Amino acid sequence: MEGQGLLLACILTPLAGAFLLPLFGKIHAGMRNILSLLFVLTAFLCSAMLLNSALADEPVSVYWQLPLGLSIGFLADGLAVFMAVTSSLVASIIVFYSFGYIEQYKNQNEYYMMVTLFIGAMMGLVFSTNLICIYMFWEISAICCWRLIGFYREEPVVRRANKAFMVTVGGALLMLVGFIAIYGETGTFDLLQMQGETIANWAMVLILFGILSKSATLPLHTWLPDAGVAPSPVTSLLHAAVLVKIGVYVFARLFLVNFQLDAIWETVVPWIAAVSALVSAGAALVENDIKRIIAYSTISQLAFILLGLSTGTMIGVAGGLLYILMHSLAKGGLFLCAGIVEHSTHTKDIRQMGGLAKCLPVTAVAFLLCAFSVMGIPPFGGFFAKFMVIDSALVGGSAWLAGTYIFGAVLTVIYLLRLFVKVFLGETTHKDLKEGSWEMVSSVAILGVLSLLGGIFINIPTQLTSFIVENLGRW
Amino acid sequence: MGAMFTDLANFITGGSGVNILYFMVVLPAVLAVLTVIIPRDSFIARSICFLAAALADLILAIALFIDKEGSMLLSWTDFEINLAFRVDDFSSAIVLALAIFAVLVGIYSVSFLRKKEKYGQFYCYYLLTLAMANGAVLADNLVVLLFFWEGLMVTLFGMLVIGDRQKPATAMKALVLNGIADLLLMLGVAATAAQAGTFMMAGVSQLPIEGLGILGFVCMMAGAVGKAGSMPFHSWIPDAAEVAPLPFMAILPAAFEKILGIYLLVRITFDFYQMVPGSVMSIVVMAIGAITIVLAVCMALIQKDIKRLLSYHAISQVGYMILGIGTALPVGIIGGLFHMINHVMYKCCLFLTAGSVEKQTGTTDLRKISGLGKLMPITTVCFLVAAFSISGVPPFNGFFSKELVFDAAWESGMVFYIAAVLGAFLTAASFLKLGHAAYFGPLHLPEGVKAEDVKEAPGAMLLPMGILALGCLVFGLFNRLPLSVIQPIIGEGYDFSGWPHSITLVAISCVVLLLAVGNHIFGYRRTGEGLKAVDHIHYAPVLRSIYNCAEKRYFDPYDIIMVLIKGFAWVCFGIDRAINWVYDVLMVNFIGGLSSGMRLLNNGSVDRYMVWSFVGIGFIALLCLFFV
Repeated sequence: MEGQGLLLACILTPLAGAFLLPLFGKIHAGMRNILSLLFVLTAFLCSAMLLNSALADEPVSVYWQLPLGLSIGFLADGLAVFMAVTSSLVASIIVFYSFGYIEQYKNQNEYYMMVTLFIGAMMGLVFSTNLICIYMFWEISAICCWRLIGFYREEPVVRRANKAFMVTVGGALLMLVGFIAIYGETGTFDLLQMQGETIANWAMVLILFGILSKSATLPLHTWLPDAGVAPSPVTSLLHAAVLVKIGVYVFARLFLVNFQLDAIWETVVPWIAAVSALVSAGAALVENDIKRIIAYSTISQLAFILLGLSTGTMIGVAGGLLYILMHSLAKGGLFLCAGIVEHSTHTKDIRQMGGLAKCLPVTAVAFLLCAFSVMGIPPFGGFFAKFMVIDSALVGGSAWLAGTYIFGAVLTVIYLLRLFVKVFLGETTHKDLKEGSWEMVSSVAILGVLSLLGGIFINIPTQLTSFIVENLGRW
Repeated sequence: MGAMFTDLANFITGGSGVNILYFMVVLPAVLAVLTVIIPRDSFIARSICFLAAALADLILAIALFIDKEGSMLLSWTDFEINLAFRVDDFSSAIVLALAIFAVLVGIYSVSFLRKKEKYGQFYCYYLLTLAMANGAVLADNLVVLLFFWEGLMVTLFGMLVIGDRQKPATAMKALVLNGIADLLLMLGVAATAAQAGTFMMAGVSQLPIEGLGILGFVCMMAGAVGKAGSMPFHSWIPDAAEVAPLPFMAILPAAFEKILGIYLLVRITFDFYQMVPGSVMSIVVMAIGAITIVLAVCMALIQKDIKRLLSYHAISQVGYMILGIGTALPVGIIGGLFHMINHVMYKCCLFLTAGSVEKQTGTTDLRKISGLGKLMPITTVCFLVAAFSISGVPPFNGFFSKELVFDAAWESGMVFYIAAVLGAFLTAASFLKLGHAAYFGPLHLPEGVKAEDVKEAPGAMLLPMGILALGCLVFGLFNRLPLSVIQPIIGEGYDFSGWPHSITLVAISCVVLLLAVGNHIFGYRRTGEGLKAVDHIHYAPVLRSIYNCAEKRYFDPYDIIMVLIKGFAWVCFGIDRAINWVYDVLMVNFIGGLSSGMRLLNNGSVDRYMVWSFVGIGFIALLCLFFV
């Protein structure tokens, strides 16, 4: 019972608490901010406390039967807890960062409400064992992201928010048709009741549309770079903690834990992802907007995650999961750094920046640490994830596939390095810039350090990932 | 959870399975962090910490060298990715070599970097480099090897960035070229492990080069020669020579990278895989070596800056090692390894002499300085010893190792031998030019530098130079000493010590050296300046235009790669924009068109709606008729 309380607290605190925030905001802004952080931290702590039972293979679950064969079910198994801990950890840091960043803008009540709701939806989604629940939380996240991308309310910004909303919701509707198709075959939406079933390829295609649109994979990706118009903590949230990870998480939940897939997908998905990885990496090398570059980098890195999850090898799945964690930490850090840079230089164009390391030393170092992690350079966390994923491409796919991804990794090194060098090194363009507020700077420092520690102490996250992989029952 | 924290505690303290091997990696790393934590103003405390770390590493390395055995294993992640270290004859010798050079260049650095900004960061990166190099050499697991190997990129980038923050292009170039080589190594490690069925090196032994093995071998080799600075991964080195602090050049491109690259190359070719003399792979490796020798030395010949000239030689000399190892003959491998250790000694020494010159005169540009011999006699002597060694003058160490490589090349193919001899000729010629220009001839100093101010370098800088120069002589005269360590690495019963066996080859080498001297005298007579002694080669009819293109960097692999990648990137960008156009323009227009079409139909006119109603009723009636 205690475990069930934790599980419900983990989901409901941010979900319900979000709606209280505007009320508190009317009373006192500082209190609202602290409460928002508290709600998200509660989600983090509760999910961390669920680790024990998940690792002991006694997952906590909650289940209510509803009429018409419907049900609501939450299950805190290894995969769910891993994802919940990862995203709530990064989300907590992002909320903390927001204290400094968002201070000067209007609509803060809505901001904190949407961010908290967003994280609540994420928590609900990862623990859900019911396709309809998954769909609902999926759409709540789409609504939050629509409001948050359009935070600045200018016409072009709103247009891009609409675009993001329509692409992801369009994908989600197709996915819903896929879910209904599964219902038609099995007579239930409850995942636990259809463990190990094989699903039809056309249903798989429909669901894949939903996943790829949310996880911004070619050709459903262009909304993600456009979403860079949002405030930086929001982009960070979208890229690192919640939104795009939803797609890959649902991929893992449905196609690794639950359903059997046709073997053809073990070739098709990695290659779709490969094209996505290369095209977006190439685009990142041409772009000049700091946030768009990092956004394209997310698209490219998501392809590596999908690769790991889809090659059908143990090392690939473990690598893919580690990749989710390491990418969340590092990419969150990169966007938050970009936010500091944007705040102090008032531009996003990297051609107008240079030598910022002199004025923004902490940001520069944190950016570099996170960038190294994304590049997959040891001793940073990204290294192991990248190596495992590449190894799985070779073992589960072919030398060509692995070679393609190695090329993608080379491009990653080049575009991130180009970004760092242009922004932080070279001739100084701005004089007397101020470092961000202490909340902002300490947030990026924490993420940078975590990216480093994640690599050296890789044994800690691996305990969980290897547990998940071994319990998939596929090997 | 409990187990997690036990593991963590074990990891930090070392736990039960820990021994000296662990401290070889952890100790320098921890002290590296300490050097930056110590307050910035206390140069002495930082330097003591720095030197203590290098010395401690040397002591540990000596202990390992005496023991020559030991292993340890800590669980890291699953899939056999364990933090496993093991030491054997080969790796213990390599670790000792790393430690010795780390101490020598360390002492030099302390003196050189005094009163320089960011020396603390340099210490930190230096020690981290040492820690990771140790880790790479001692690794008993392919992924651990890759971990430390790739990790060197971070410190490399750091050292280049502190060199000159205003001009980061070189740091980027170095990181991109190294990144390509290291990512190839990653692919190679994956393929090799797939071939062997394990990541643990114990299981990776004498694999055949076929199937995935070809991919594994080629990619790992690319990683190894890339680190060693062979073509085509070389072009950052001469650029780095201009921006990075000089001790960086002495420790990384001249010493550590050669040692590591050649160590891994030997491991790959004779331990992990089975390279057979005369096989395709053997020829590929030899060709890389031969091309590197000739092209790099040609570039070295025309350089006008000491550091750039030396760095081209650092590339060229690695060609000899690769060529020797590529022959897959015992004499070649031993020659390659011997040449590696000799090279590190004389090249380190040469860079250090260049550093002395830079410290005293403020430049290493040969057009601005000459005749320093009288002002800096000890530096000059050290330079001469090292220059004789690199040129292969008997009885210095370079002569003996080069002869072994010549021997192996002679047996493997005339074209490789000719390349090697041509390289020797040009090496000698360029060092005659360098020595003549910098240390002899009339005294000439840059503007603003007075002859009274140019003194001999301080003792802390002379000591490492002197030791290295002495080493060049000792390793030549008593070559049994190093060879007795190197020969057991590839097996029992080899003895190549003493005077070279083939008199013919020695005679050819001597003739080549004499030709080089003749060439120098000819060139000097022609122009009257030491610096211009090779101008008749530089400005020879066809060579002139080739050199011209090379000077303009038309042949720089980095530039070529970047142009190709930029092209690729623009294509990708085009695809991306095209997809975006579908969303932003096509779909919007399509839906807009559709709705305005619909709007035309629904214009509010009752007449029109009536018509629509009748048409609809008629249609339904028709359907009913048809079906009922």
